[in-house]
Amino acid sequence: MTPVMRAEGNILLPVFAAASRSALLLPPLALLVLFFLTPLLYLFFVSFHAPSQSDLFGEGLTLGNYLRVIGDSFFLTIIERTMLTGALVALICLAIGYPAAFAIARMPPRHRLVALLLLLFPLMVSNVIRAYGWVAILGRRGVINSTLRNFGVIDLPLDLMFSTATVAVGLLTILLPYMIISLANSIAAIDPHYEEAAQSLRASPVRTFFHVTLPLSAPGMTSGLMIVFLLTLSAYVTVSLLGGPRTKMLVSLVFDSVVAFAWPRAAAFAFILLALALGVALIVPAVLRPGRVRGLG
Amino acid sequence: MTPPSAEFDVRLDRVSKTFGAVTAVRETTLDIPRGTFLSILGPSGCGKTTTLRMIAGFERPTTGNVYIRGARVTEVPPYKRDFSMVFQNFALFPHLDVAHNVGFGLRMRGLPRADIDREVAGVLDLVKLSGLADRFPRQLSGGQQQRVALARAIVMSPAVMLLDEPLGALDKNLREEMQIELRQLQQKLGITAVFVTHDQDEALALSDRIAVMRDGRIEQIGAPRDVYERPANEFVAGFFGVSNVMNGEVVHVDPDGIDIKIGEAGTVRLSFAAEPGRRIRVAVRPEKIRIARSNASLPLKARLTDVVYRGASTSFFLELGGQTLVAIRQNEGGREEGLKAGDAVVCGWDPNAAIKLADG
Repeated sequence: MTPVMRAEGNILLPVFAAASRSALLLPPLALLVLFFLTPLLYLFFVSFHAPSQSDLFGEGLTLGNYLRVIGDSFFLTIIERTMLTGALVALICLAIGYPAAFAIARMPPRHRLVALLLLLFPLMVSNVIRAYGWVAILGRRGVINSTLRNFGVIDLPLDLMFSTATVAVGLLTILLPYMIISLANSIAAIDPHYEEAAQSLRASPVRTFFHVTLPLSAPGMTSGLMIVFLLTLSAYVTVSLLGGPRTKMLVSLVFDSVVAFAWPRAAAFAFILLALALGVALIVPAVLRPGRVRGLG
Repeated sequence: MTPPSAEFDVRLDRVSKTFGAVTAVRETTLDIPRGTFLSILGPSGCGKTTTLRMIAGFERPTTGNVYIRGARVTEVPPYKRDFSMVFQNFALFPHLDVAHNVGFGLRMRGLPRADIDREVAGVLDLVKLSGLADRFPRQLSGGQQQRVALARAIVMSPAVMLLDEPLGALDKNLREEMQIELRQLQQKLGITAVFVTHDQDEALALSDRIAVMRDGRIEQIGAPRDVYERPANEFVAGFFGVSNVMNGEVVHVDPDGIDIKIGEAGTVRLSFAAEPGRRIRVAVRPEKIRIARSNASLPLKARLTDVVYRGASTSFFLELGGQTLVAIRQNEGGREEGLKAGDAVVCGWDPNAAIKLADG
């Protein structure tokens, strides 16, 4: 517990130091404000207007774009599907990712680095290519169906494409490395003395894991779940190629509206998506409380 | 081999540990009687921590056996052994408050909740932390964290409490305060304790027995006074702050002792026995060497090479007969003789003050 050291002489010194550190943030901040925050606010403004045939948006303010979504079970089903898929993919990633992350975290540092680099390898292949890869495997004339037919197991091809499960499997394979990497870093950062302390207090290896290691990896679980969930919410290529017209997600609605030149409605969908993402970003840490690891309660 | 007895809470029987090509502990045998506070003292890399970790079961001995309360536990995993441990960085669980940290072991033992609450409250009272049960480790000072770590170990009523340099993370004043508290607590509860440290003052202040280790071996084991006053060899002597090792030749032997000649400096009387004509090595503690400008009772001629004022004491660096010695004198104020570097002085010591190290 080293106390924070401060130069006693000049009380303005820390102020200058803080100011000059903040100055380093200015360029990215300016970029974000100019090209992200401003257009976003404008988009928010657009979302409260009626559509127009000739312009970006029509005359007069209206809540119609939002009310229509809330009132329409078609849209509500899609929102529900989007959230459920996100939660499902994130939780399955956590379940399959945790043992792998645990194994990687316990490797000697040099091996761990190699393992983490190998995990990044699939990310070098474009999502479009990987989605088509799944089509080649799961499609009507894909590897699975042709194999089963060749062996006479089935007569007609199985319908493996265009379902929520297909989308989930596609997203899972893309997003799993993100989960494993954030978990592995978090687990590797746990001081081994905590586990020894637990064992010195009669905790078996299994109980040590559940009482000490698992709670102490909360930061990794939080960031892993959030990254995977949020990437699921904004995934488009995988959703449209593997989900098809039957299994639309919120992003598909944004895209469809844009294609139909219904800009205000597209904007409204975008903000519903943003609100859901913010909700997830608040709920996950509230449940897992990663601050506990630093004793913040 | 004598059969392991329950009188010893811990027994190491010819225990060795190698890591690859490195031997950390060599054929070490150690018995720790019930209620003893034993310190394992040595420089870093001497094998003291490995020895402790073999008692805990975090390391398995390459050869030899470990016994706790007479039961052989060599292959028993740590969580089935009867010990508790205070770690160097305390290793308090950051996600648990003080009460849950202290109660962790009892919960793992499956004690009823009411019993756990009562035991935890009792031990927190013992270490004077009663009001802090719902604080998290991060919200505690270093000394308070230390007490929580101690309480967490004590509450288990273990056969042996292992302490791995637990005071190392504290600043000097707090460390001395905690030394006294730790010692009082251990004596009050009669817990057998094994304390690993590289700090000889700490070992002297706390221990019933001290085992001095070097290169995986115990060089000497005994009461603090024994290892300090009668170091078995030059290493132990050096570790307890004796830098004054001299070579001398035995020039006279009689029933009361011997005279040895130290180079050109002169001859000095020592009270132990040796054969005439032999060259021997002797050590003298800095605080036992007396120096003066001139004094008929001090037989050795020396030259002051340096004088260092240290507040409570002054160190005098002496050159005599081609060898270097340090003498330390308590500063008593007003009794300064104005000795300075370059002065010719005489020095000597009581015949009993010299420690015989080895026949050279």
